[in-house]
Amino acid sequence: MTDKKEPSERRAGRPGSADVLGSNSEIGRKLRQYYDGLVSEEVPDRFAQLLQQLDQAESAAKSE
Amino acid sequence: MAVTADFKSGLLAAIPNLRAFAVSLTHNTDRADDLVQETLVKAWDKHESFQPGTNLKAWLFTILRNEFYSQMRKRGREIQDSDGIMTARLAVHPSQHGSLDLEDFRTALERLPEDQREAIILIGASGFSYEEAAEICGCAVGTIKSRVSRARSRLQELLGISGEGEFGPDSIAVQILGAVV
Repeated sequence: MTDKKEPSERRAGRPGSADVLGSNSEIGRKLRQYYDGLVSEEVPDRFAQLLQQLDQAESAAKSE
Repeated sequence: MAVTADFKSGLLAAIPNLRAFAVSLTHNTDRADDLVQETLVKAWDKHESFQPGTNLKAWLFTILRNEFYSQMRKRGREIQDSDGIMTARLAVHPSQHGSLDLEDFRTALERLPEDQREAIILIGASGFSYEEAAEICGCAVGTIKSRVSRARSRLQELLGISGEGEFGPDSIAVQILGAVV
């Protein structure tokens, strides 16, 4: 399963989106540190399984 | 119309971000994971209403956020007022000069009213523009701006960071004077 994040996607829109929270801001830095920590946590398998189940349910419905 | 492979891989790729947003809304990993699960199911069910080429991540964040508030209403929990009264009483002690502990930061963040917290997360961490954040929250761009700005001031207050130039001349002067005395 893919729980790798796309660095380019994660940074998209960041520059300039919030001057008040830019790299000179302690709050901005901490905020990103906090959030990036959460983003890089390992994703439980249940989500990939869920998507697979939804997929299977759909194919089953279609083949009826 | 069937769910496309693109849509599926988009969902999968968005999960880490959805979880991060969910945890910052709920402060609770189990609740956050339930919220993400609900979001994925809802997104799947209404995939036809997603317009390919538009921002899937923003679309998913909108679903997650709506789900969060509808769960809160069901639980009968009141959404905190924007001008909560916790600030004055809260004491978060930043560790040493200027080095802010992440745990202190998390505590302060949790003290923010929901509307301010989500705004500062969307703008300052999730990488959305003000326009996208306004769409996600169903409010005006100006409202998001003012929430972000209030959130920032509140955090500075809670964490004892001065408004302008956090490590500017004033704080240095204080340290020098302090050392002399």
